[in-house]
Amino acid sequence: MAVDKVMNVIRRKLAFGLVALVMGLGTQTGVAQAQDAASILKLAFDNWRADSSFARVQMTIKRATGTRNLTMESWTQGSDKALVRFVKPARDAGNATLQLGSQTYVFNPKLNQVIKLPASALSQSWMGSDFSYEDLSRSEKIITDYTHKLLSTKSVGGKKVYVIESTPIKGKPIVWGKQIVSVRSDGVLVSIAYYDQVGKRVRIMSADKISTIGGRPYPTVMTMRRDGKPGLFTRITTLSAKFDLAIPKYIFTRSNLQNPRN
Amino acid sequence: MIDTLKTFGSLAWRNLWRNSRRTFITLIVVSVGLWSILFFNSFMIAWTQASKQATLSVLIGSGQIHAPGYMDDPSIDRLMQPPDAALTKALNAPDITAWATRLQLPGVVVSEYKTLPITIVGVDPALERKVSSIPGKVVKGRYLKDVSDDGIILGLNLAKRLKTGLGRRVILMSQNVEGKLAEQSFDVVGLFDADKNTEDFYAFTGRTAEQAFVGLKNQIAEIVIVTPDTVNVDTTVKNLQAAAPKLDVKSWRKLSLFLAASDTFMQGFIYVWLGVVFALMAIGIVNTQLMTVFERTQEFGLLRALGMKSRLVLLLVAMESAVMIGVGVLLGIVMAAATIWWLSSGVDLSAFAAALEMFQGGQVLYLKYQPQAFIQFSILIWLLGIIVALWPARRAAKSNPVDAMRRLT
Repeated sequence: MAVDKVMNVIRRKLAFGLVALVMGLGTQTGVAQAQDAASILKLAFDNWRADSSFARVQMTIKRATGTRNLTMESWTQGSDKALVRFVKPARDAGNATLQLGSQTYVFNPKLNQVIKLPASALSQSWMGSDFSYEDLSRSEKIITDYTHKLLSTKSVGGKKVYVIESTPIKGKPIVWGKQIVSVRSDGVLVSIAYYDQVGKRVRIMSADKISTIGGRPYPTVMTMRRDGKPGLFTRITTLSAKFDLAIPKYIFTRSNLQNPRN
Repeated sequence: MIDTLKTFGSLAWRNLWRNSRRTFITLIVVSVGLWSILFFNSFMIAWTQASKQATLSVLIGSGQIHAPGYMDDPSIDRLMQPPDAALTKALNAPDITAWATRLQLPGVVVSEYKTLPITIVGVDPALERKVSSIPGKVVKGRYLKDVSDDGIILGLNLAKRLKTGLGRRVILMSQNVEGKLAEQSFDVVGLFDADKNTEDFYAFTGRTAEQAFVGLKNQIAEIVIVTPDTVNVDTTVKNLQAAAPKLDVKSWRKLSLFLAASDTFMQGFIYVWLGVVFALMAIGIVNTQLMTVFERTQEFGLLRALGMKSRLVLLLVAMESAVMIGVGVLLGIVMAAATIWWLSSGVDLSAFAAALEMFQGGQVLYLKYQPQAFIQFSILIWLLGIIVALWPARRAAKSNPVDAMRRLT
């Protein structure tokens, strides 16, 4: 029971991270001018941080035991405020996560209680999933904690794609040996591959579908696959999204977390 | 009276050699019986001692000192300052072999593949070598160099579960002094081979390296002490408690209730087991004694017919038994002592290391003489042998000499 609760909590948290990541990568402006690898990434991520967004997102988790579909709504403001609320299925509806800076609150309607998550609970991986909280909440670290090298440029569907190898700076708390990031010239993320320290690929997140949503090109379907676990994946599908909208302040409050006003 | 005893002494001695085969069998039964009791007693005690020692020497030590409340909630909020002058003096007392300070904090270890909960132990390697067996169990790489070594030592099984290895880095996370999440990259410099629990739940780094990692100045989580077997650890605990009244001093019996319980259980078990062995040996000795006395019913009848008092017949039998069993007991003591002496340099069980790991047993047993057992069991066997012989002898001596000679009794 306790394990279930923690896992649920982590799942919500994860969902939040995913949404933040996907939303962020979509809300770009042109970075085509940037030539070196670091600035290509920096521009893409800088744009992501400043924006506000609202989206309806579906998460599909395929595991050996079956497939699970969750639908959630999310609001983000800058890089430090976010609210994610599950709306489907009924079993999970009402569960919500609020992040304010480094503090994370979780609301569980069955307990009718807001729990402030200890940092250590967040650092645990979500069992059976292809994501961990780890790589989601701090994606922006890929700018500051890595050195970047432009490996190649290629053309996919008429768009220029930069393939960048990001290697962690020595001493930074990053477990990956390297990451290979593909970014389209308009700032849309195409894929991120994670490699272990001996150079073996561990997992890859890729944009399966890039289409226009909320008035901009956006990776509407993103899938995380783990090497060595064929057929299993976690997929994020953005159903609808709005960008750069004015979000009322009350959205990111604990009272709204517990008693939704929208 | 002295003359009678002298006569009976030589009579008894001759009787013993009149049927040397019978005497020989009794001697073997008694000596082997006593030898097995004494040897197994020593062996079992060495075994329990070794397993206890092996378990304690991993991390627990003979006792530990913590800040109050740390045992219930081993978090960064329940730490203590390094020992002050009074406590240091108490720790340097002659009945404490060694002591070391540690910073033990809960955390998680992250590799490319997995995130697992662990206890991060910051140690002072020079002191740790004297209190813990972990430094000697590093099978790959090296142990920590000094107190500021920021490498990390992982258990073999943990490294396997994390799919990491020597020379790679892992990320440790723990709560820092401000209550926020601290994370830092640590290079895996060594892997240790201990029991699975220890391998899975403990990772070791330099103490000051860990203090820097979580933002501590010089607070520690515990002081571990080691006392020799001969010292009563409760007295040591009392002395330390007096030197540091505000801290929580506990002996290993309080720290590891399971170990204390199993220690008590094993002590009881040894006695039960020895009781069983003793009963079996006693049956063997009784049987032989009964046989030898019943065989001589005719002889006792003849002695009675010649006018010997039944009391003196009993005395004769008692003297014979006392000498024979006495020699057997002495032989048994010598055999047991020789075996224990031969094995006292250590019985190496490392061939069964894998099987023993399950019991957290020691791999080398050091057998010791148990003087109390030597005296107790020897006297018990000796008395038992004599008493048992007297019963059939009494029947023979009390019976009608004619019937006895005709073997009617």
